[in-house]
Amino acid sequence: MEIPGIVRSIEASGAGEWMRMSLKAMPIVESIHVFTAAVVFGTILIVDLRLLGFPSTRRAFTRISDELTRFTWGAFLISVVTGVLMFAANASTYYGNAAFRIKMLALLLAGANMAVFELVTKRGVARWDKDVATVPAARFAGAASILIWAVVIFVARWIGFTKGYNYDIPPGLDLNLDFPTK
Amino acid sequence: MHEFAEWLQATSVSVTIQSVAWIIPLLQSIHILMIGVVFVSSLMITLRVVGRVRADEPFGVVWDRFAPWMWGGLVVMAATGLTLIVAEPIREFTALSFWLKMTLLVIGITSILIFGRTLRPEARTSATAEFSAGRKAAAVATVVLWLAIVFLGRAIAYDVEVWGSLSLHA
Repeated sequence: MEIPGIVRSIEASGAGEWMRMSLKAMPIVESIHVFTAAVVFGTILIVDLRLLGFPSTRRAFTRISDELTRFTWGAFLISVVTGVLMFAANASTYYGNAAFRIKMLALLLAGANMAVFELVTKRGVARWDKDVATVPAARFAGAASILIWAVVIFVARWIGFTKGYNYDIPPGLDLNLDFPTK
Repeated sequence: MHEFAEWLQATSVSVTIQSVAWIIPLLQSIHILMIGVVFVSSLMITLRVVGRVRADEPFGVVWDRFAPWMWGGLVVMAATGLTLIVAEPIREFTALSFWLKMTLLVIGITSILIFGRTLRPEARTSATAEFSAGRKAAAVATVVLWLAIVFLGRAIAYDVEVWGSLSLHA
């Protein structure tokens, strides 16, 4: 099946139907999505800052990273589930939205950055785990991660302001787009 | 209040913020990033109080690591939040969620002030650094409070859907 076909079937699914029909589903699912995204950012930020050497190198990197992983992954998992539900509600609109596509690309980039760090950079962690400056590759991974996650959250919020009118306006048409945004 | 909101929404500052498409989403994004900073900082302090995270470190060290981020994040949130109110005062002032959020915010900020004043000296003098059940319950309660504040924040956009006839929009 082509991607647009898959998108249409997601939109036609029971979950999509429920998200559209229930009055309270969208606000509840969206609140959980925003909250868990914030937790993902907040917990990753602590690890990223440690990679950059902030606030100090006194506490071992692996220790900080290990105690936060479960919170990051737990929040990320809930974020994915709520995100898929929101997508199902208006799948074709999201699919055609530029901000949504940039967000998906940024998420892939965040994943790639993490994969390189976990599989390559972290191999030598014993040398820079504690009391010494981290290696440049680790500092790069930390800085890139903060930047990418900030972009993910900005473009995600941008979707809410653009997905309603992501189409070409016929020339000469007087459209009143002054309606409240979510 | 509604007249004040209408007046504020018509001021040149408010009109300028509304007319530049990217300002409101940018402010909201910064606000959300700071939720992450403030909530997770408060969560780390609370988990230390209940002994689930960084139990090997003295409470004072954990407090000094996260409290400045919590306060710094709150200052940025106040700045972006106030600007968002100036930009869309009618949206905010006519939402029940907004007023509930502000009420809980006052309680939340007061509770972390009390936290800092009582827990730190207590942790310093106590040899075991183990907090009482009451202290632990209070710490968990503040996390729940922040959670409610976050949800009410997003609920501002859906006041009628969430509150039905109780909504000030209705």
